[in-house]
Formats: sequence, structure tokens, C-alpha cells
Amino acid sequence: MAAAEGADTAPPFETTLAGVLDGAYATAYRLTGNPADAEDLVQDAALLAFRGYPGFRAGSNFRAWFYRILLNRFYSDYRRRRRRGVTVGLEGFPEAHLHERAEAHGLGGGQDVVGRMVAELDATTIGEALDALPDGFREVAVLYFQQDLPYQEIAEMLEIPIGTVRSRLHRARGLLQRQLWNLAVERGIVPAGGGA
Amino acid sequence: MESPTTMNCREAVRRLDDYLDRELGREELVQVQAHLECCTHCAGVYALEAGALAELKSKLRRISAPADLLSRILARLEREPGRPSGTA
Repeated sequence: MAAAEGADTAPPFETTLAGVLDGAYATAYRLTGNPADAEDLVQDAALLAFRGYPGFRAGSNFRAWFYRILLNRFYSDYRRRRRRGVTVGLEGFPEAHLHERAEAHGLGGGQDVVGRMVAELDATTIGEALDALPDGFREVAVLYFQQDLPYQEIAEMLEIPIGTVRSRLHRARGLLQRQLWNLAVERGIVPAGGGA
Repeated sequence: MESPTTMNCREAVRRLDDYLDRELGREELVQVQAHLECCTHCAGVYALEAGALAELKSKLRRISAPADLLSRILARLEREPGRPSGTA
């Protein structure tokens, strides 16, 4: 009988990779903007990770390690290929939360309006609004909104301080909410101007 | 709309993002929680933000890797020179 795997022995690469693949692909898709590049990026990252796996410390965070490889690969090779639409500027950064926006439009507490707005905007539109965030903010927002990761893990993946994650995320939320609100007004989901 | 807690509405709303994300320290968490329990306005704001955030995250998470992506990756790794035996 083979010796039991020691506590400090990393599990087989394919097992650990399988556990993070959906999330990694979704992130790659959001960053590259198309499924073909997303697949290539994940495959490249998997190959690099496989080569480095003997040095991976068992018990440490494989997802953070793998995403770091994927993100570095994205920055080094894929980001410049990306055709991007209009990127929103940071000027006039909106501090207001959705409820303040709704109230400013005379929509009472705004809960129903905001609920309807988010419900009626489809995933593609929301994804495009995320894509339009400026560099640096988009990566943090993708890892947060799409992968639902804690700030600390995002900080590890992007190799930035947790305070930077917090501040970028705060601004990204405001920008995203403004984008979505404007789209909802354009589509008649939310009435334009003041007054209900 | 001041509350009888040590945190007022402005301070509570400013910490709402971190509260929603469970990223507040113990002391601030307790203060925000106490404020939300006694301030209906801020409790409404919290409910709205929490609902919108959950819906956004849920919609954005609906992307899965192609079913055969893992097998294609593993096939590529098989061709990797110097592949340690028993892996991938």
C-alpha cells in the first residue's frame, strides 16, 4: 500500500486546477473580452502553473497563486490585444450610493426602483459596464463582483496593499453604479430627471 | 436622522460597503449593526444596497468554463517535456 500523502504534500495539479477553473475562465473572459482569448489565457496560465507547481508550497492558497500567474500573463501579453470600448473617466467621481441617486430623482426610498433596475439590466450589459472601468479598477472589480473574493485575497492576487483594494473598490462601485444608473435611464427602466 | 447609538447615519452609510463585505473590524461592525437595528432609514439603505449587490454578483457569476477546457489543458500538459510521472 502506498504511503499516505503527507500533510505537506501538494495534491495532484489537475485536482487543484479543476477546483479553480470556472472562476479563472470567467475572470479571463472578463479581462480579455472574448472567449477565444480567455481560453488561451487560462491555458497559458495553466502551463506556467504546472511548470512551477513543484515549487508551490502545499497548504498555501492555490487560487491566489494561480490567479497571480493568470493576471501577470494577462498584463504581459493579452492586455494590449484587447479592443476596448469607451472607458469611463475618474473625474466627477460619484460618491452617491444607489439609494441617494434614487432619492435625488424623487423616487422615494428607491428600493423598488433600484431592484427593478438591477433585475432588468442583463448580465451582458452589467459586464460591459464593468469592462468600461479604468485599468487598475477593473481588475479589482472583476475579482470582487464576479469572483466574490475577500479584499485580502484580491490584494494577494494583484500584489497591492489591502488599503488600495478597499479604495479602488469603493471608487469602482461608485463608477459602476453611475454607469448602470445611466444605462437604466437610457432604456427607460428608471425615469430621467427629477420627479417620479 | 440621528440614532441613539455612537455612530450617526453619515458614518454608518460611509462604512456600509465594508459592512456588506464583512471587512469591518469588530468594534466598527458592532457600531454599524447597532445603528442599523435602530435606524429604519439606514436599515432600508442597507437592504437596498445588499439586494443590488447580491443581484449584480449573481448575474456576473454566470460564466462557466467550456466543458472540455480542463481535458484540453491536461492534454497539453501531457506534451510538456520533463513532465513528472504521475502528474496531470
